[in-house]
Amino acid sequence: MKDDDRLKLQRLVFYKEDILLIDKLLNTFLKRSQAKCAILIDKEGHMITVHGDTKTYDMDTICTLLASTFAATREWARLLGEEEFSVLFHQGKKDSIQVALVGDRTLLAVIFDERTQLGLVRLMSNETARKLDEVFQQAEKRRVNPVETEFLGEGFSDSANKLLDDLFGENS
Amino acid sequence: MVQFNFFRREVNCKIVYYGPGLSGKTTNLEMVFKRTPSTSRGELTSIATEQDRTLFFDFMPIDLGNVAGMKTKLRLFTVPGQVFYNSTRKLVLQGADGVIFIADSQKSKLQENLESLKNLEENLKIHKMDIRTTPLVIQWNKRDLPNILSLEELEKKINYLNVPTFEGVAMTGEGVFPTLKKCAALVLEFVSKQANMTGQPAYNPGMTGTMPSAASVQGASQPNAAMQNIPQSNVPIQSIPQPNAPMQAQASTPPSFGIPNAPTVPQAAFPVNPIAGNYAPSFSAQIPQQPQMPKIPQMPQMPQMPQMPQMPQTPMSQPIQSPQPQQIPGKMANFQNPIFKKASSTVLPPRTQGIEPQEDFNMGQREDEALQSQEVAAKPGMPSGEKPLFKKFKKFLDEKNKG
Repeated sequence: MKDDDRLKLQRLVFYKEDILLIDKLLNTFLKRSQAKCAILIDKEGHMITVHGDTKTYDMDTICTLLASTFAATREWARLLGEEEFSVLFHQGKKDSIQVALVGDRTLLAVIFDERTQLGLVRLMSNETARKLDEVFQQAEKRRVNPVETEFLGEGFSDSANKLLDDLFGENS
Repeated sequence: MVQFNFFRREVNCKIVYYGPGLSGKTTNLEMVFKRTPSTSRGELTSIATEQDRTLFFDFMPIDLGNVAGMKTKLRLFTVPGQVFYNSTRKLVLQGADGVIFIADSQKSKLQENLESLKNLEENLKIHKMDIRTTPLVIQWNKRDLPNILSLEELEKKINYLNVPTFEGVAMTGEGVFPTLKKCAALVLEFVSKQANMTGQPAYNPGMTGTMPSAASVQGASQPNAAMQNIPQSNVPIQSIPQPNAPMQAQASTPPSFGIPNAPTVPQAAFPVNPIAGNYAPSFSAQIPQQPQMPKIPQMPQMPQMPQMPQMPQTPMSQPIQSPQPQQIPGKMANFQNPIFKKASSTVLPPRTQGIEPQEDFNMGQREDEALQSQEVAAKPGMPSGEKPLFKKFKKFLDEKNKG
């Protein structure tokens, strides 16, 4: 398989209608589970979308750490002869977090506090994960022949270089 | 792997500092952290041992700002250099877009440097990446120490890949930024090429009106000018000059989506194509390519879930009482309490209040008994508000199990 084909297949792609559906699912999930915040990230720690109360969090770091923790437990699982652990749960005094695998490339992290209970969150997130997976699979099917669209012009790297100069130039 | 999030209008690149133990990877990152204005960077997260040796990784995001309409972020990672942490190193390397190899210039470290570079190559291969095509920059660190190899020797012995190299003294910050800058530039160039090579269907222009393409927009000859004009979701761009784009269009959900009650999306309000000006024609022009679009409202959705207990009316409307299990006689006492009343509460009663420790220990068992026995639910004398709720929930669980 050619490199660009491989890249095309590997890339996580969401269309707008997928995002609308995902948003709807996550909103419903938050309402039903009474959780504080739901974050959908890919396994590499990139945020796909987030819902709920996130003001106090440093999202970049949270997503990265979540993905790394998950990756670490996957290794751990492998050592035990499991493929991976599909759910992680970390309990705190006030806030807790549950991370569940959605499909095989995304993670649904839920932050919740004492207003709700783990059982409810787990039940609801299982349900939501299943539905999200359906959305992803639909999206996958659709992109067998993706529309070839040039989207980043020559200017992208030029413009980026300028910004890099601005940011690092005087420091170097 | 670079992530293009057209929904949040972000490009995320991952750059990994690699190299043998104690070569100065974390020091490099700390220097970047110290010298980058706090408005452009996030926190430096370090997962280290008590002796300050990196255990898992250090992480810091840098916000480059708006590149061609996309909020561009660099995510900097370091790996643990010590040989026996290879499994974590592999994990951190996963999805890297660019690598900065920090080599220790000391004579005694030559072998370690070579081993680490070899290890990098192997680990990249595991992630199906080729060290020759991955953006890579080498920094000869610790140039201020006495027993170091000359640059020529280093180039000859280590830089067999012939990649850009920089001298550095990470402790003082020397060479730190040129190295990072070069790597970031390589990565972004790579990203740009890659995107053009593979096509980027993530957000079809016609669907969103955000990405002008030759197919949908006549003004596509100035794509970048157009991209810069796109209203951002998270970081609103204030009054950026708009030389090329007619601005009849305002960022709002276009009515032509035909989605009744489309959920309000907090992150982005799907900006209208500034070039096309008028959303609808450009959208309808794209419909043949995206036949799925009209189906959205009918797609299988979750909202039904009819058996789900409607978050109970009675407890909702009642003011929350702090848990006083002793007031309610019988085994159901604890079962009645927990989920829904708590769920609907606005003021959080501390969980420990009013609950005896012993009761907590037995609670799970009592709940189990209650769940096992339908009779308990039907017991006379139950407050009427609770019974249907329990039944509904049970029914929901049953149907879930069947399904």
